[in-house]
Amino acid sequence: MAMDIQFEKVSYTYQPKTPFQQKALYDIDLKIKDGSYTAIVGHTGSGKSTLLQHLNALVKPTEGMVRIGDRKIFPETNNKNLKTIRKEVGIVFQFPEAQLFEETVAKDIAFGPKNFGVSEEEAFQLAKEKLALVGLDDSYLERSPFELSGGQMRRVAIAGVLALEPSVLVLDEPTAGLDPSGRKEMMAMFQRLHKEKKLTIVLVTHLMDDVADYADYVLVLEKGHVVKQGTPDVVFQDIDWLKEKQLGVPTAAAFARKLSAKGFYFEKQPLTPEALADEIVKVLPRAKKAGDKDDE
Amino acid sequence: MMNKLIFGRFIPGGSFIHKMDPRCKLLVSFYFIGIIFLANNWQSYLFMFLFTIACIALSKVNLDFFIKGVRPLLWLILFTVALQILFTRGGNVFFEWGIISITQYGVVNGAFIFCRFVLIIFMSTLLTLTTPPLDLSDAIEYLLRPLKVFHFPVHEVSLMLSIALRFVPTLMDETERIMNAQRARGVDFGEGNLIQKMKAVVPILIPLFVSSFNRAEELATAMEARGYQGGEGRTKYRVLYWHKSDTGAILVFVVVTFALILLRT
Ligand SMILES: Nc1ncnc2c1ncn2[C@@H]1O[C@H](COP(=O)(O)OP(=O)(O)O)[C@@H](O)[C@H]1O
Ligand SMILES: [Mg+2]
Repeated sequence: MAMDIQFEKVSYTYQPKTPFQQKALYDIDLKIKDGSYTAIVGHTGSGKSTLLQHLNALVKPTEGMVRIGDRKIFPETNNKNLKTIRKEVGIVFQFPEAQLFEETVAKDIAFGPKNFGVSEEEAFQLAKEKLALVGLDDSYLERSPFELSGGQMRRVAIAGVLALEPSVLVLDEPTAGLDPSGRKEMMAMFQRLHKEKKLTIVLVTHLMDDVADYADYVLVLEKGHVVKQGTPDVVFQDIDWLKEKQLGVPTAAAFARKLSAKGFYFEKQPLTPEALADEIVKVLPRAKKAGDKDDE
Repeated sequence: MMNKLIFGRFIPGGSFIHKMDPRCKLLVSFYFIGIIFLANNWQSYLFMFLFTIACIALSKVNLDFFIKGVRPLLWLILFTVALQILFTRGGNVFFEWGIISITQYGVVNGAFIFCRFVLIIFMSTLLTLTTPPLDLSDAIEYLLRPLKVFHFPVHEVSLMLSIALRFVPTLMDETERIMNAQRARGVDFGEGNLIQKMKAVVPILIPLFVSSFNRAEELATAMEARGYQGGEGRTKYRVLYWHKSDTGAILVFVVVTFALILLRT
């Protein structure tokens, strides 16, 4: 099944019709294509987490419609039979280590699959497999999740979602608070799943370098509105706009911009270190020649 | 689900009731509960209702919140009222069966008890809707001060209360977050039989306990690191002011008491 996800005029209000009501999303139209790697960026409070909760019908839009695969979710859709969606769209929430509760790591990872009717044995097989995937060896299976370090707990929690074997994996700032090497490993693992298993990935992040390195589509959220969307090339085209919004710029693009200010000319704005290196290699001979002329 | 929990929630506002000293509000709320027991006929209950509605109107908080406040306790109220109606004897007998009888006194008593419940809930809801929880705990600390004579740890108890109140919203947010995370892992809350429902609570309760203990430890460390010392000699950030209008409010309650005494039989 192709798990395209589409929002049509989706608005969401927290605690509607009370003095505490707060509108978090306004008229969102977007499409997350099956097999894509979509990044969602925006400031804290811009509505990213709220938007994510629509992706597997944890919340229903207060206005508009969300289509997940072939299911349509309206404000009045009832809560029954949403489980199939939750099996297809796995969400790793912000600080997912808060969801651990079982006595052993193995049981905790197996918890999700068992809820979806997978047999005990298969669930434990999955637990073993996914634990290896997040970079922890079998010796952790029988340990209590509460005696692990923060980073290890994060890995176990992520394994717990991967164990559902979803076709869409939603990640809400999955590497926040991890050390740099752990972050790299984790992002590389998601990238592998995306490439090898054709997983659709939706990533919320504050790190523009991750967006540039991995995403093929970017959504920029501001105060509940989608203010820009497109491929990274398009979204990162207007560096001044990004700076004005204080969203940050990929390191490679920022570096290229500094070089441009010194007289370098790039045919295409590089977003990743590799692209930057390629561009510089292309440009250098020309620049060198120009420099030689100056010397004369 | 959490959104419907209105009871005990502060609604900001600038009304006279909002601006009253929390100590005064706390005192008169308890006093009100005491004098309700003076009412013993329909005239006096009507009077108390009118007075309560007037207070609510003065607070400018929507009446809906008060009615919603009654709802969680509805079963308890109906149960008590039913007991009164079925087991009180006296006056005209409408129906009798064994020890069960519906009599005139029973029905009247039942109606009065119902009114008493509703009035008490309205008034205490008014207190919590118009007073920030921390002000309330300051007021409690102040009013409990005389107990220090008996070596009752007033400051510590009030600090515990403040911390508990402060973390209620945090805990509710956390519960919602954890419930969402477990739902995403295939848990169906509120489905299946009783045992299945109770089982579904475990994946919420354990993470909540763990995070609460962690938070308590962090808070304690943070307080110690900043040299926290309770009790003697500690000044307050939120200072309570007793206004003339607070004295006025107390006078109003005195007048209400006299009116009640006149109206009761
Ligand atoms: N449970 C909630 N109740 C009320 N308001 C909320 C709740 N969760 C988030 N909000 C509000 O919705 C807006 C968007 O929040 P969120 O989606 O968490 O943003 P982000 O993930 O981008 O930081 C914020 O203004 C936030 O205060
Ligand atoms: Mg968020």
